[in-house]
Amino acid sequence: MEFNELEKKKILYKETTLCYQCGKCSSGCPLVEEMDMFPHIVIHLASLGLEEKVLNTDTIWICASCYACAVKCPNDIEIPGIMNQLKQMAVEKGLKPKRNEIYKFHKTFTGDILRRGKVHEFRIMLEYNLRLGKPFKNAMLGPKMLFKNKLHFTPPKEVKGFRKWLEKANRKG
Amino acid sequence: MDKDSIVLYPGCSLETSSSHYLQSLKTVFGVLDIPFRILDNWNCCGATSVKSIDEHLNLLLSFKNLALAENQGFRELVVPCASCYFRLLGAEYELNKDNKLCEDLNKKSDLPYKGKVKVRNILDFFVNVAGLDLISEHVKMPLKGLTIACYYGCLNTRVPVEKAFDVREYPKTMDNIVRTLGANVVDWSYKTDCCGASLFITVNSIAEKLVGKVLKDASLRKVDCVTVSCPMCQTNLDTKQSIIRKKYSIEHPIPVPFITQLMGLAFGCTPKELGLKKNFVPIESILEKSSVN
Repeated sequence: MEFNELEKKKILYKETTLCYQCGKCSSGCPLVEEMDMFPHIVIHLASLGLEEKVLNTDTIWICASCYACAVKCPNDIEIPGIMNQLKQMAVEKGLKPKRNEIYKFHKTFTGDILRRGKVHEFRIMLEYNLRLGKPFKNAMLGPKMLFKNKLHFTPPKEVKGFRKWLEKANRKG
Repeated sequence: MDKDSIVLYPGCSLETSSSHYLQSLKTVFGVLDIPFRILDNWNCCGATSVKSIDEHLNLLLSFKNLALAENQGFRELVVPCASCYFRLLGAEYELNKDNKLCEDLNKKSDLPYKGKVKVRNILDFFVNVAGLDLISEHVKMPLKGLTIACYYGCLNTRVPVEKAFDVREYPKTMDNIVRTLGANVVDWSYKTDCCGASLFITVNSIAEKLVGKVLKDASLRKVDCVTVSCPMCQTNLDTKQSIIRKKYSIEHPIPVPFITQLMGLAFGCTPKELGLKKNFVPIESILEKSSVN
């Protein structure tokens, strides 16, 4: 196991081990019926060091980071943050995300920010559909939005010096 | 707070898909005579997507915005978008808690930041800085006879408890603004329910179900409109409403104005000044009802 991977496991363990399985996160989750594992079970398995068992669930991807669980948690565990760590672990391990359509959206959105420091919504919609291989997904939305001038064909200008700054700030070591 | 030092962080959606939010916000600030500036050279907050797959990039994006605000001489950053607010406040919280992290970013990025900027939600600003008295003074056409549901969504209030400006599970800030405008506000258990956020794009059926629940309950309470302060909530509740209404047998259209659009209407501003044309469900119906009463 690489050092980096071990560090990540430690962080995950430290946060999840505070959980005493009250189940409030699962009972208050607005998306629980779409999940294949209850959020409190995900936390439980992670606290046992068995996070491998949850990396292939819908749950970690379906979580919309609404923070309903985090507000209810008596031990102040930032559950959406844990779900994010697990998403990132799954990707780093080279697993195909169980809900790939959600991962691809996050990836497209993030990639677009890196281009200029601001998002170009029109391009994100197009690129996302291409990546999914579903050119007509949300297609009825596009013309409606364009008609109301809510989507723009041309991207916003690059934030002055953004890419250069990010490269410097993001360097390792 | 000194009113001359207000700086706004608009965020990406207020420049495109929710430009009517920014437009109505500027109009309302004009009426209330609140001078403001837009943060110079701001960048995207990263929203939920960046945080989901790259925690460090998420922090860097907000660090830069906070540092810019500080270096441009501001102590507070006022944020209208709930998602941007949540991300920026998260960074403020994390950087204040961890000095070493802050110093490390200072050094690496050549951008000094001392952690002196406070991130403020627009609702918090209206109620606790501008004040309900100031708002009330400018109400020319009270929204009498209207019954309104205030929808906060998730990220306006679900912040760490020591940073919260309102009760996290049953907020009332927006209710108080709407009451000041002369309308009735319903007690509503759906006010902080989730609209599905980006699931609206990725897994339509799930987001439609969530939006359907919120709109169905609003319609059962016979509200004239559901007002919001989050561009994501506005888009999700408004854009595909005709389809969702059919699916969940909701009889009447429910307009979804931004809180700033409602304020502007009560201040006597024109529909054009408030960008009302950009809302999919027309707002004119509530105007007619209000002027009759």
